Formats: sequence, C-alpha cells, structure tokens
Amino acid sequence: MSQPEFRHIGQHLPRKEDYRLLTGQGRFVDDIDIPGALHACFVRSPHAHARIVSLNAEAARAMPGVVAIVTGHDLAQWTTRQRMAPPIAGLQPMEMDTLPIDKVRFQGDPVACVLATDRYLAEDAAEQVLVNYDVLPAVSTMWQALEPEAPRVDDSLSSNLLSHQHADHGDVAARKREAYRVIESTFSQHRQTHLPIETRGCIAVWDDGRQHLTFHVGTQVPHPYRTTLASRLRLSESQVSVISPDVGGGFGQKIALYREELTVAALARQLKRPVRWREDRLENLLASSQAREDFCRTRAAVSADGRLLGLELDIVEDFGAYSFYPGNYLARVVAMILTGPYKVQDYSYDVKVVLSNKVGNGPMRAPMAITSWVMDGTMDAIARELQLDPVAVRRLNMLQLQDFPYTMATGEVLADITPRETLEGALAAIDYENFRQRQQQARAQGVYLGLGICTVVESTTYGSRFYKAAGIAGSGHEAAWLRIEPSGAVNASVGLGATGQGYETSLAHAVAEGLGILPQQVHLHIGHTDIAPYGMGSRGARGGTAGGGTLYLCAQEAQVKVLAIAAGLLGLGDGAALRLQDGCVEKMSDGIWTATGVGLADVARTAYLDPLALPAGMAPGLEFHKTYEPPPMTYSNSTHVCEVEVQVATGAIRFVRYVVAEDCGTVLSPVVVEGQQHGAIAMGLSGSLFEQVRYDAAGQNLSGTLADYLVATACELPHFELIPMHTPNRATPAGIKGMAEGGVMGAIGALTNAVNDALAPFDVVADRQPLTPMYLRDLLREKTVFINKA
Amino acid sequence: MSHVEKRAITLTVNGKNHELLVEPRKLLADALREDCRLTGTHVGCEHGVCGACTVLVDGKPVRSCLTYAIQMEGHEVSTIESVAIEGILSPLQQALHEAHGLQCGFCTPGIVMTFEAFLKINPAPSEEEIRDVLSGNLCRCTGYQNIVKAIQQAAAQIRRNADHVAA
Repeated sequence: MSQPEFRHIGQHLPRKEDYRLLTGQGRFVDDIDIPGALHACFVRSPHAHARIVSLNAEAARAMPGVVAIVTGHDLAQWTTRQRMAPPIAGLQPMEMDTLPIDKVRFQGDPVACVLATDRYLAEDAAEQVLVNYDVLPAVSTMWQALEPEAPRVDDSLSSNLLSHQHADHGDVAARKREAYRVIESTFSQHRQTHLPIETRGCIAVWDDGRQHLTFHVGTQVPHPYRTTLASRLRLSESQVSVISPDVGGGFGQKIALYREELTVAALARQLKRPVRWREDRLENLLASSQAREDFCRTRAAVSADGRLLGLELDIVEDFGAYSFYPGNYLARVVAMILTGPYKVQDYSYDVKVVLSNKVGNGPMRAPMAITSWVMDGTMDAIARELQLDPVAVRRLNMLQLQDFPYTMATGEVLADITPRETLEGALAAIDYENFRQRQQQARAQGVYLGLGICTVVESTTYGSRFYKAAGIAGSGHEAAWLRIEPSGAVNASVGLGATGQGYETSLAHAVAEGLGILPQQVHLHIGHTDIAPYGMGSRGARGGTAGGGTLYLCAQEAQVKVLAIAAGLLGLGDGAALRLQDGCVEKMSDGIWTATGVGLADVARTAYLDPLALPAGMAPGLEFHKTYEPPPMTYSNSTHVCEVEVQVATGAIRFVRYVVAEDCGTVLSPVVVEGQQHGAIAMGLSGSLFEQVRYDAAGQNLSGTLADYLVATACELPHFELIPMHTPNRATPAGIKGMAEGGVMGAIGALTNAVNDALAPFDVVADRQPLTPMYLRDLLREKTVFINKA
Repeated sequence: MSHVEKRAITLTVNGKNHELLVEPRKLLADALREDCRLTGTHVGCEHGVCGACTVLVDGKPVRSCLTYAIQMEGHEVSTIESVAIEGILSPLQQALHEAHGLQCGFCTPGIVMTFEAFLKINPAPSEEEIRDVLSGNLCRCTGYQNIVKAIQQAAAQIRRNADHVAA
C-alpha cells in the first residue's frame, strides 16, 4: 500500500482561517450584534434531585429591565417534548420536557428563564426567583443507581438501568475452561467535560412577517440541529435557518439541541423580539454535557505463553439524568471495537448504562476513549500475571498485514490498517531495549521510570451501515456542492460544522485535487443551513472521509464537465485526452501534457454566458451536487509510547518522552492533522491526570470553577514526537481514513500503562483515573515500607 | 448585586477615547465587547483562569474579566484589534499562522496579547520560560506545542528585526 500520487492533497499550506482569528475579527456567536436583543439567564436548581413545589417570580418580574420570566409550564405550550426512543433491544424509551415541570434531576437543571434588556439585569433578577423544592435522595454513583431500592431518576422508567445489551461471539465459556489462566482486570474512567474555551450560546431572531426563525448557534451539526429545532418548535424545516459562525471548540459538546437553546428560540418567537444567551463558565461546568464516567472489567482467558484465547467485557456507564442521546450510543461502540488490534474470536460483552442525578452524558472527543486503555491494559495484566515481557505479549496477539481484512468477533471488519507496523515504529523510536536497561539502573538508585504502550485502532467516519448494525438511529452519509462561477471562481460547501479543525484549508485540498485547481482558488462555505447541503455534521472523526471524500468526488465530476466543455472549445470530440491542472486545460500529445491555452475561466464563461456554444445536449452552468455513503466504518491506527518518572515519595508524574507512530491514511493537510494529533493527545493526558467532574453523595457538583476542574496547561504537557506512517484506505475517495480522536484513546492508555510500569516493583496497579498524586500515594502508602527494606 | 446608577467614563482603547455610560460593576471585557464593539477580546471563564480575555493595560497583561471598566480611567487599554498594523500581522501573529499555533482561535487573542508584552521584556526566552508564561492561558485545541514553537519563531524574528534596525 503505497501513498497515491497527489498534487495538492498532503501539501503544506498555512490555514486560511487564521487571519481573521489572529486579528480579533473572528465572528463567534457572542460577537454578533443584534440590536434590541433581550438577554436570557436561567434559574437553576441548587439540588440534585427534588420536586418543584412552587415558583414565585413576582419580585423578580418587578426588577429593572426584566421583560419576561417563564417556566417549564410555559415552554410546554410552545414546544414539544423530546422523545428518545429508537427501536433498540434493551433500551428504555425516555422523554424530556423543554424545562422541568415537576422535578429537577441534577444540580444546575434549569427551572426558569429570565429575559431582561441586559445580561447583568437578567442575572440580578434570576437570583430573586424563589423556588420551593421538596428535596429527594439523589443517585450519585453508578453502583447506587443499580441498587434495587435506589431512588428513581426518571419516574416513568422501570429502573435506573436505561440500557442493557449483551452479546456472545464464539464460546468464551469454553475458552475459559481450556485456559491456563483467566486474568481479570478493571478500569475506571472518571467523569469529565469537554470544556471548549467558548461556552455555549445562541441568538434567536424571529421574523414574524415571514414566520421564519434565524438561529445563530455554534454547532457541530447544523442540519440535524435544524431538523430537531424546527420539530420541537412545531415549525417546518423551511421556517428555520441555523447559522453556525466561528465556533470556539466543540469536542462533542455542541451537537445536541440543548433545552436552554430551545427555550431561547421559543421565547424569541413568542415575544417577537430577538433573544440571546451565553452561558458562563459556572453553567458550562454545572449544566453543559459531560462524559466518560465508565467502569470496565475484562476477563482474559490465556495460554501459558500469553496468547489471548477468549475475552469477556463488562461495562457500566453513568449516563447522568437525561437522554440527549440514546443510552447505548457511547458504551456500545466500546464493546463493538474493543479487541481492535488483537486477534481473538471468542468474545462476549455486557453493557449497562445507568441514570444518575448528574448532567446528561454526551459524546466527548473519543466517546470510545477508554477502549485502547482497556485492551492494552489487559495485555499488560497478562504480561504481569504470567511474568512475560509486555511487548512480547502484544507481538504474540497482534494482527499482522496478512490477517487483513480481519472480521472481528463482533462482525466489524478491519481493513487497510497497520497496528503491528506502528507498534514497531514507536518502539524503535523510543529504543525499547535500551529503556529496559535504563529502567533497571534507575531503580537501583531509587528512581522509578515507566514505559507505557498503547496501540489504538480508532473507529472513524461511521457509515450508515455501522449505525444500523449498532442499533443507533442515524445516517453516516455526507453531501457537498461545488459551483464554478462565471468568472471561474470556485465555491464549495459540505454539511460539516467547523469548530477549529481548519476545514477551509484541509477541504480546499480535496476540492483542488478533484477539480484540478489550486487550493488557494477554493472557497468553502460551511455552517449555514440555507447555503450548505444537508449533511450529518462533524462528529466521530468523519470530516476527512465523509466531508473531504464527498467534496473530492464532487470536484472530480465537475472536472469531467469542465473538460467536456473545453474539448468543445478546442474542437475535440471529447475530453478524454484533457486534464485540468492548476486551473489550465492541458492536452496529452505524444506522451506529454501541454498547455492548450484554455483555462477554467474560459470554460466557465462559456457555460454561463454563451451556452449555445456548449457541446450539443450539454446543460448550461457549472453546478454540481453529490452525496456519498462511506464504508460502514473506516479505521486509523497508531501506537503511543510514553515514558514517565513517578516520584514515589510524592506521587508526582513527570513526562520523559512521548512518541506516537500513526497511520491515518491519506492526509489532506499535514499541518491540520498534526494539530489534531497534538490536541487529542493533550486532551487524553489532561483528562487522565487532572480533569474530574466531582459530585458528592448528595449530588452536589464540586467542580464548578476552573480552579476546581483542572485542565493541563503548557507546563504539564510533554513535547509530542510524531512519526507519520500513513497508508491509504483502498475503499474511500483518495484513500482518506479520518482521525482526531485516537490521540485521546492512546494517551489515556499509554500514560496509565507507563505509571503502572514504573510502580511494578511495588506490586500495585493503578486501575482508575485521574492519576493524581493523592491516588498514587494511597496505592503506595503501605508498599513503600516494604521496598525501603528491600 | 443590585442595580447601581451608571457613571460616565472615558475609556482609552487602542489610542482612541470612548465616552461610555456604565455601571460601576461593568467588567472591562464587557465594556470592550459591548460598548466599544471590540469583540476580539473573548470571555472564556469570567473568573480569571483561562486567560482568553487578556488585554494590555499600560502595556502590561491584565485579565479584562477581573477588571472593572471604571477602573481604567487614566489608563491606556490595548486589545487584539491594535496588534496588526494596517492589516500586516505582527511577527508573533505571523509566527502563530506559520507554525499552526491556533485552531478554533478563541483563546488566541489572549495568547497574542500576553506574548506581545512578554517578548518586549524578554526577546530571548527559553522554552521553559515560554511554557511558564503560557500557563496563564488555557487552550483546548492545540496541546500548546505549536504555540510554543510559534513564540520561539516570533522571538527569533523580533531579534532579527532589532538587529536590522541597530545595523
């Protein structure tokens, strides 16, 4: 699999987006000036779980600048309830009011909305809205949620077990009986949140004359968002325009239609006045979606030499209080792709998703983040228990080139990936054998070095067939249009939602390649539902293959018509011997491409302004539209190797090196891909070390500020060494695979495995995150004495 | 906090005087964005941690979310809008562009303002010094590596420019 030859794809060009962002001329939601807009502020529950007994807004209504105060009762007249009930075996249907009417389910649940002429005044008034609550016991852990007598988070459900799926592939029970050992490992990942630096916000402008809503909101999925917003307002999709301007990060937090946003839209329509809302950071930490809190247990049936014979996985995920997504949406993907780079056909999984009195979960950059830690952590457990070298265990079990395409036990097909190659590439870069010697020498001096390895098989793109197979409602197709204007200017669009990925740059490479012009000549128009075609937006690392792939195919079709017109202009029968190169039509003669003197502008002028000169039967204009259904799934792969020093006396972790070898297929823009790798690794490391949404037993959120919810700064993160080992996917346009989430997956696993390698002499295993000094000291406290004696 | 009478103040921003009527509690960040319509200064946390709202007051970096507009009378405020001169990027902005030191761009103005000031007092910083100063600005997209690289490149360019002027 060698890299195909491209002229523009893979070339380095600085980003087109940068100028406006660097000069303070970006246009984020809160930068948009709407004269006369009212400001919304939400009154939020101080309790995790309580009945709403009464609400008194009289005093607040009388305050300066206050225009309206509304509750869930009001919103119920103007909006429909959300019903999350895809036909999935084991999933309980769930409904949600626009604002809670009877009961609040987490601390921060919005119970009323205050509108005032100024944000300060709206906040003043919100403080004076008096709500009487009858406080109920809260569900604050996933284990408590599963207890038979646990308080019920959703009274209409039979239990807090929102979703339960089980699958048996092969015969794991038999493999366990035959095994030399069955090795059990557990992995606990804590609750985190996406934390885009731009919080949520929106502006609703209702045009009563046209009966039309213009809704400005930073969203990853403009069209699906519009579908939901229109439906919940009982409007048609023709009556709603969603405009997503520059967006200050999303990471999965800006996908769902939030209740606050729906409230703002409904109020603008009712009052016939523009309404805007921007949450503050406290609200973002208390009430914007959260993620990740899951527990995994594996039981690996192994032979004496460390071969994996069969595997069981149990997952329990704490989903929070509301279903903004189907309950199985996140955890089931972990179960389906768990075995990733390793060969095993006897596999069973059990996935339980429970409700608790916390913020509802959403997908966060790598919703399946825990996967690679669980799998490579299991490999480490096998090595530890059988006293084998962890690299040897990986080599023994890992799929190799000749194994592909490989149908995993779950039926998912892995093709065109190179896990063994990235493993060896990363190990060579870090000099594994030398490390083991250094580690021994350091230990003798009381210095504890550790090396962690994590090989990632990252599910990307998510085609419609995967959604269907996983029992998740949705489509994975994408749509694009391309217009060559009469001047020869090229405009294009696709249904993605940019949140910092640099689409205007990377996707211009795909268009330029497909059409035969320079990337600088391509102008992308995205993030506006009236302009962009209906696409599925940005999530699940689909921008490259679904977005870039559709544009590439659309641009190729455009080139065919351009060349057919050029053939006419040149007096040729057809365009077969022609190509478009950097906007100039070239002709093959005697094995050499030579300029014809006809350019894209000549063709465009003819197509629009002199259509009678077109070849017989050809329609005027140069407008193209394409939809594309990608494979059920594409996969990228990478191996992360992390070297750390753990200070045993303090529990502090210091990075020594961080190396990643990655194969993410054809790279549209190397600068963008590198940036995505850095960002994903940083998010994984920051999450594993520091970030934690903490709730106490009463369901009080203890991490409401950035002084409590800690994020890695430039001082805590290492220098990332990236080794590109890209090979194309043979089933996708241009060989694109997609990427941007695997970095999180690999970081979580490599770091934790490294810490455990460092702590091996103490016979302790860190099986939960975050890896705080306090946690590591708790593990070491009883063991350090023993070592000191030794 | 309750409603308090608005006061007339003069806010000097990027060399221009703005006559404003603001409540004493009005944050500098909000006055810049709403009253001066300079929306390049972004608000990320409103409690002084993320650094996105950093502006210069008399040449020194200040969190505009922890500063009241009314405190700024008699001071010179500089925002991101003043950094590029007639559309020409500063060496720092140019380096951030070339080294891919920004993604979503929301935190970028705060980083630019912090280092426009820092590189004036330390035009030859070590990577450790850069990371230390940068730790006052949270970025969720980049992992910081390319920002550090950009600042190193900018420092080198600024030193070359200084040598050129001296020569």
